[in-house]
Formats: sequence, structure tokens, C-alpha cells
Amino acid sequence: MDPLTAAMRIAGSGLDAQSNRLRVVSENIANAQSTSRVAGGDPYQRKTISFAAELDRAAGVNLIKANQVGLDYSAFPIEFDPGNSAANEAGYVKMPNVNVLVEMADMREANRSYEANLQVVKQVRDLVSMTIELMRPS
Amino acid sequence: MIDPVTAAALGVPSLATDSAKVPAVNSSQAAAANGVGTFADVLANVGETTIDKLNTAESAAIGGIRGDTGPREVAEAVMSAEQSLQIAIAVRDKVVSAYLEISRMAI
Repeated sequence: MDPLTAAMRIAGSGLDAQSNRLRVVSENIANAQSTSRVAGGDPYQRKTISFAAELDRAAGVNLIKANQVGLDYSAFPIEFDPGNSAANEAGYVKMPNVNVLVEMADMREANRSYEANLQVVKQVRDLVSMTIELMRPS
Repeated sequence: MIDPVTAAALGVPSLATDSAKVPAVNSSQAAAANGVGTFADVLANVGETTIDKLNTAESAAIGGIRGDTGPREVAEAVMSAEQSLQIAIAVRDKVVSAYLEISRMAI
């Protein structure tokens, strides 16, 4: 396969991976206050995503692929809120183990990686059209 | 003296002697036997690939409007089609200018 086309495909897989990461981050941020439906139950558990290199045999290059979405097993912070429907008999509520600051940092990183892959796509496109331009009469 | 292959392609047998026409046929047969095909076949192939890619881009764009396909897939398909079209146009321009060059040739 043409190296420039391969570079385009790799950057495309990077865009896919980073958009998946952004999806997980948005799930975590949206559910940062989601408590349990039943009294004393567990709240929303933070989701994590990781990536792995994947060999594209047709092109002989390493693409990036998101692994299965995992769960964060850290402890849930406990708040005293007897009025909440998810509170246990003592009046304590388990809150999700989502730290919005961490999610924001993750979001910025996903954003930057997406932009980097986008720049690769742009550069490759420009190079290919410049090469095609060689065939044009000047 | 016009190249026998070009003369045959242009349909001007009067310019090519009988002895020149025979190698022209032979060379195209040899090219076909090599699995490369004639120049016209190659051009037809390029045209078909371009049309295929344009169709793919079109269906991807419709999918994007309907919300089935993500913007990245649409952009990728459209960009690939654009590149193929640019290549096809550049090759066509070259072919046309080559034929014009031959037709202007002083005999």
C-alpha cells in the first residue's frame, strides 16, 4: 500500500480512538452526580478506556484501537445527605468516584491528540495534491 | 515519423506504412499477454476506479446527512474521491495535450 494512503488510514484510526475516549469522558462528566436508584446502593462507577496497537495486515502498519471500556474500582466518596432517595438508614449517600478535574484533564488530552491526528491528515492531503499538481502544465 | 502505436490509436493508417502497423498490433498483443493491457485499458481502469470512489463518497455523504455515518468517514471518503478525480483529470489533460502535440506535428 502507498505509504501516504497508509498514513492517512493510521491518522483516521487515531481520530476514531480519540473520539471514543471523548465519549467515555463525556459519560463520566455527565454522570458525576448520578447516585443509585435504590437506597444504600452503588452509584455510577467511573469508566476508563485504554488503547492498543493493532496490526493492519493488508497495509502492514500498526493502527490504534480502543480496548474494551473498563471500570474504575476505586472507593466511592460518602456524603451525609438524609434527604436523598439513595441514602442508607444512617443518612449517608455513596457518590460516584468521578473527579471532574481529572476528567477535564483527560478531555484536554483527547482534544490535543485529535488535533494532532487531524494535522497529519491535512499534511498528507496537501502532499498528495502537490504531487498530483506535478502532472499539471505549469 | 509518428510512433506506430499512436498512429493506430489515432486512426490514421495513411501515416503508418503496412510494415509499421504489424509491430503495433504485436506490441499491444504482447502488452495484453503480460497482463498490463493496452494504454486505453489502463485509462478505462482509472476511470472506473474514480467513478467507484465517487459513488462511495456519495453514499457516505448521504449516510452522513441521515446520521448513519460519522463525519470522519464522510470526510475520508470524500477526500479519497477528490484525489482520484484530480488524478483522472490530470491524466486526461496530459493525454489530450499529447494528442494535440502529435496533431500539430509538421509532416
